[in-house]
Amino acid sequence: MRTSLKIGVVLVAAALVWSASPEAATRPPKFVYQRLQLSNGLTVILHQDRSTPIVNVQLWYHVGSKDEKPGRTGFAHFFEHLMFKGSRNVEPEQHTSIVASVGGQANAYTNEDTTVFWQTVPAHFLPLVLWMEADRMATLRIDQDTFVREREVVKEERRMRIENQPYGRLNEIIYEQAFTTHPYRHPVIGSMEDLSAATLADVRDFYATYYVPSNVTVVIAGDFDVAEATNLVHQYFDRVPKAAKPVPRDIPREPAQKQEKRVTVEEAVPLPAVVVAHHITYDGHPDAYPLHIAAKVLSDGNSSRIYRKLVYESGMALTAFGQANLIEHPNLFYAVAIVNPGQSPAAVEKALIAELDRMKAEGVTPRELQRSKNQFARDYILGRETVQQKASHLAHAEVLHADITTADGEFDIFQNITQADVQRVSKTYFTPESRVVIHIMPKGPASRGQEVRQ
Amino acid sequence: MRAALIACALVLAGVSAASAQPAATAQPAPAWPREFPPRPLQPRPVTFPPFEIKKLANGLTVVLVSQNEQPAVSVRMIVRAGAAQDPRGKLGLAMLTATLLDQGAASRSAQQIADDIDYIGGILSTGAGTDLSFINAVVMKDDYAAGLALMSDVVRRPSFLQAEIDRQRQQALSALKVSAEDPDSVAGMVIDRLIFGFHPYGMPGGGTEASLQSLTRADFVDFHTRYFVPNNALVAVVGDVSHADAMAGIEKYFGDWAAGDLPPFDPTAPPEPTKRVIVIDRPDAVQTEIRVGHLGVPRKHDDFETLDQAVKILGGEGANRLQQVLRSQRQLTYGASADLDGYKHAGAIVAETDTQTANTAEALRVVVEEFSRLQRERVHEVELEAAQDYAVGHFPLTIETPDQIATQVLNTLFYELSLEELPKYRDRVLGVSPDDIQRVARFFIRPDRLSVVLVGNADQFVGSLKGVGFGEFERIPLDQVDVLSVDLKKQ
Repeated sequence: MRTSLKIGVVLVAAALVWSASPEAATRPPKFVYQRLQLSNGLTVILHQDRSTPIVNVQLWYHVGSKDEKPGRTGFAHFFEHLMFKGSRNVEPEQHTSIVASVGGQANAYTNEDTTVFWQTVPAHFLPLVLWMEADRMATLRIDQDTFVREREVVKEERRMRIENQPYGRLNEIIYEQAFTTHPYRHPVIGSMEDLSAATLADVRDFYATYYVPSNVTVVIAGDFDVAEATNLVHQYFDRVPKAAKPVPRDIPREPAQKQEKRVTVEEAVPLPAVVVAHHITYDGHPDAYPLHIAAKVLSDGNSSRIYRKLVYESGMALTAFGQANLIEHPNLFYAVAIVNPGQSPAAVEKALIAELDRMKAEGVTPRELQRSKNQFARDYILGRETVQQKASHLAHAEVLHADITTADGEFDIFQNITQADVQRVSKTYFTPESRVVIHIMPKGPASRGQEVRQ
Repeated sequence: MRAALIACALVLAGVSAASAQPAATAQPAPAWPREFPPRPLQPRPVTFPPFEIKKLANGLTVVLVSQNEQPAVSVRMIVRAGAAQDPRGKLGLAMLTATLLDQGAASRSAQQIADDIDYIGGILSTGAGTDLSFINAVVMKDDYAAGLALMSDVVRRPSFLQAEIDRQRQQALSALKVSAEDPDSVAGMVIDRLIFGFHPYGMPGGGTEASLQSLTRADFVDFHTRYFVPNNALVAVVGDVSHADAMAGIEKYFGDWAAGDLPPFDPTAPPEPTKRVIVIDRPDAVQTEIRVGHLGVPRKHDDFETLDQAVKILGGEGANRLQQVLRSQRQLTYGASADLDGYKHAGAIVAETDTQTANTAEALRVVVEEFSRLQRERVHEVELEAAQDYAVGHFPLTIETPDQIATQVLNTLFYELSLEELPKYRDRVLGVSPDDIQRVARFFIRPDRLSVVLVGNADQFVGSLKGVGFGEFERIPLDQVDVLSVDLKKQ
């Protein structure tokens, strides 16, 4: 692994020198790291960065909401909460307070593909963090009381994040309309009915199935001695038992959408919202990179096409953006606009579709292409300032691309994208058959909607 | 890429064969030892990283932090005027002035500014807070001069074209419409008004429909001319540029910026705290937004840091009794916290949480009881030590990036605190004793004078408020809230 990386670096460096032009984007420094695999299947990545005496440790469990079965949605996220409920040597709720007691921060998040636990601590507490993470990986306490009580916290989380916010349900609506079969259809936080129906046996089975070392990547980034950190990893993680069975990946595929879907829903929103979505590919597919570029030309910065047309020039929208949600399985490109008072959602829909059609017909200009490449370079550089950010990039490459070299390699892929690439993927994915159009209209008293002309 | 796909396919094939086997049950590995946490390694010394402060002849203060880990430079400017400087009747002026800075400046149109910064892969942002306005730019190191040229146009020579004013006013009006239905934002606006009264800190920085409509080009030009002068500004240059180069750039682009006379700012003091409970009715709410608080102290107050430690015990990182009781013990919320907000001329202590409608009164009772307990009972050494251990241990995490370092220096300068104190953070934190906490808690915490805001489905919880000591309240429908009127209702 390391050898091949070095060769890669030399080749890339040579290519850069050869192709350097005054407009070329600034190159971020490359990652230096070690990658180990323990006999129980655990993958470990060490990235030394001694600039500040702190260390970030993150564990990426390769399980997210897309691994959930129908009737059992919300498990991955719920399980993230349960991981703070104590293990053989760590009392319930103590994980976070132990980390805080040394000045560190700890938290976790769950998305469609992964469940991530992270902590940043003063560097000399690296042994403590590794020890606690191994403890909960191997010996989590799961009892009926904890399980029932924590479910109430998750219900409050759902109320806070989704049900009580204007536009809080936007994502949920988009995905339940766009997907029929693949579990991306359901929200990460899941259904409260499913959580209420869950049994202790379900939860224990989930732990035994997915919380196994071969399904985990540990990244340690920051100020440590490599030999010392390697020893600590072996000391605390070698003893985590190997999984009894392989991790299942029997996730149903989404059948191709054959014709445009249109839907209007009513929600408690102050202003109407219009969504135009298209089914696209997955993160890591060769088409993913030009799609990101297309999204940047459409929506990154005040010079982007969607902002300029819908917000600046016409004043049709309070805000408008488009993004390619490129994740592990094929997902969506979607553009969203919040419709200003007195403006028509139909006209906003037309304007959004016109921008996608223009991308197919005309592609992007050389200046737009270079601009988005420069914006990419910026995102790369500013996205690698902290040890936590660095660890996340390495983990993402290892877990979601199954190829850690992409943590650096994607930079060059992006810089080599051509105008033709962007136009080609626009034609491939922004088709009328793959389109989903959603109008979200304010419900309630007629007075709210009266300014809106259809 | 291809290798990844094949690996994925193999796993899929493997699973269908394995799925016939019975599921394994979760059980701790029998060999897993009972043990104490491992000892820490040798600690590494932590010092506040080097920085330099300079002043131009025209009064502009410059902070320099050089670090070459990433090839980027950020330039952050603070102008000492924000929403607090909005004239009465012209609320929203600071906010909209800041918004308009990059919507046309010198010879550049709004669209050119957008294109100039986007093309070099930079970020330009402007905005206004309570006491200040800011202009931040981030550029790659080779574009430092281009970034400064753009920034000096935006800061010094904004055009305030009528067409751009009308455009941004319209957007601000739409944004008001959205925030008027956002319970979090309404609760925040109303608690500020209750705590600070008609002091500028109690007024909405986003303006009102009437005030935004009343703003003219002359207002923007006047606000800008008055406050955007170098002797009223601080700038930090941070990142992959030497101090000498950074300074040469600042001299070139800001050296000939003319100083000005600053108007006095002398608002009347905020009112004494009084108990007042406002229920804002939002019938479709599933949760109630809860805000509880009263007046605190300004940032520069001698007791600020001690009181801040007390408030952190109530609801801050490293302690947080509110979170322990409301979430960990009672499962009444996903999150609860309390903050001491120290502004230039006054401050506030505000606790916030949200809970499902049926638990509103109980959550409110717990929050108020925790204010009361903090004031009544001496904090235990162990609890204070834990909070201080967090604060002290956390210090290296606050100096990781050059921007974090610059922010600490800028804050110190902005609030006119002592720069010598910056490296002594650890000693200052550990110097606070339980007696100190008790002294400030008794003096500043007033459980009987708390203002309360509840935004939620009123019919479902007001009946239970009396039982927790809040039988007297004012009820206002969400669409009738007007923080500019004495009774907070639209007239």
